[in-house]
Amino acid sequence: MTFKIWKVTLFLSAFLFSCSQDMEITSEKVVFDPPESFPEPFYTSEKFPFSKERVQLGKKLFYDPILSVDNSISCGSCHAQSHAFSDHNTALSAGVNNLIGTRNSPAIINLAWQPYFMHDGGVNHIEVFPLAPITNPVEMNLSIAEMINKLNANSSYPLDFQVAFGTDSISSDLVFIAIAQFQSTLISANSKYDKYIKGEISFSSKEKSGLDLFESNCSSCHTPPLFTDYSFVNNGLDYTFSDAGRALVSQVTSDSGKFKVPTLRNIALTNPYMHDGRFMSLDEVINHYSEGVKENGYLDSRLSKGIVLNDQEQSDLIAFLQTLTDYEFISNPDFAEE
Amino acid sequence: MKNILKPIIAAVLIFGLSSCEKEADSPIETTETHGDVNIDFNYVWGMGMEDFTLNDTLIHPMNGDTLVFSTFKHYISNIKLIKDDGTSWAQSDSYHFLDASDANSLSINISNVPTGNYTGIEVTFGVDSTRNISGAQSGALDVINGMFWNWNSGYIMLKAEGSSPQSTDGSFAYHIGGFTGENNVVSTRDFTFSSDLVISETETRTINFKANPAKLFHTFGSVENGSFHMPGANAKIMADDFNGWTNISSID
Repeated sequence: MTFKIWKVTLFLSAFLFSCSQDMEITSEKVVFDPPESFPEPFYTSEKFPFSKERVQLGKKLFYDPILSVDNSISCGSCHAQSHAFSDHNTALSAGVNNLIGTRNSPAIINLAWQPYFMHDGGVNHIEVFPLAPITNPVEMNLSIAEMINKLNANSSYPLDFQVAFGTDSISSDLVFIAIAQFQSTLISANSKYDKYIKGEISFSSKEKSGLDLFESNCSSCHTPPLFTDYSFVNNGLDYTFSDAGRALVSQVTSDSGKFKVPTLRNIALTNPYMHDGRFMSLDEVINHYSEGVKENGYLDSRLSKGIVLNDQEQSDLIAFLQTLTDYEFISNPDFAEE
Repeated sequence: MKNILKPIIAAVLIFGLSSCEKEADSPIETTETHGDVNIDFNYVWGMGMEDFTLNDTLIHPMNGDTLVFSTFKHYISNIKLIKDDGTSWAQSDSYHFLDASDANSLSINISNVPTGNYTGIEVTFGVDSTRNISGAQSGALDVINGMFWNWNSGYIMLKAEGSSPQSTDGSFAYHIGGFTGENNVVSTRDFTFSSDLVISETETRTINFKANPAKLFHTFGSVENGSFHMPGANAKIMADDFNGWTNISSID
């Protein structure tokens, strides 16, 4: 109920400000609507408040191959709604000219709560996140100067920016803010698990058993409600590291082979798993934690004995992980390519 | 709950409507007058302070390297002028991108400075940490300038590129940055004017800074030691040597 008052207040304060400033009320609908069960979001778009027009523009950019050098791929090509905005069961995604990257395309879920981005956390803000895939030669391979030229020369974007930001002169900061606003709206908080927590439905005994196993074995890193604590962890995948992970960014040797703990929300939809997509199924992932963890000198102490589960327990844990699938999230028309 | 909300909504709407009626702000009464000052950057080469020009062949006076610079770009920020009464005036949104290939970028006009006698200036070399962590930026800090690392967020504070026969692959590229920890390259320096600088409404004075790209190699040594594109000890060494030598040469 307090939340409802907050929303009304937001509407009314928009009305108040509408006189003194040029701020129009775009819609009564709250475009960025944090779930009550979540903590305060990291990103609140302070420079330009959330608006329907900015989110809509961000969505158009997200799905437009104009952001790749040869107009062949968009952000949505490797971040598909049906896969909770990860790639289509692909370990390593293909960029322009079918060039292949080195890491698995991460799911875009609840990014407004994420303090840093990429598997190694090298990117420190949601607004500068698209810079890497857009300019990376093996992804979209478009320079920012070319991007701005293409958008300014386009028949519709100058007007879109005029409506969203009050200027038809497109600059990179506005492109990134629009995309950040759209990505912030990609909130997943209506899974079966969420409904169970709210007392709206019950779990089967198998799912309940899986939840208990999850809480005693997994939740210290994959902490609810976001199902990650955003820490960097070496989870014993290898003895030596072809990808040094966090150490590439921090230049600290003890960060070797560490990667950001990913959210488990919609995890059943985002296979394959791990930073390089090496495991095709959840069975393989759980089997790794149960039997495959390697002591490599940098292994997280919580995994020093692995997470040993018998067949029944593994099956129950997977049943629980499947309750984290949010069917409203993957079918929400507000998020879909038009 | 609805019963509580209704009067609040009504009150806010009435207040909101009435607030639209008069918005005519009376201009702020002030007797303060303002003027302009220019900051010009001039580059010299080596102890002899030869001309530093892009695409010219230069010999490093200490290590003997033959260097042809194709790119020399850097940031300064947070310009603050110190008045003779000890107070200071800070330029707002003070970020300046200096590109040796663009003469206009090397002459910075600072406007709207309160008139008076000034004794010195404070300059930050690089971009302060806040703007490195605050998302998409515009103007001088727009990533279109190619001075932002996309894989390890942060501004490249100074970029020097070119060719040299002493380099193993014939080229050199130093992308100097890093805004945290022991290898933070961002530094703020105070410069005292030799005599007071008078800023008036009528006359625009120019503060000439002199910087010396040869200083990049003062401690680091020859380009045969390799290029780098990331924060670290080498970036810190190069930045400190370059920033530490930079000084005011004259005031016109």
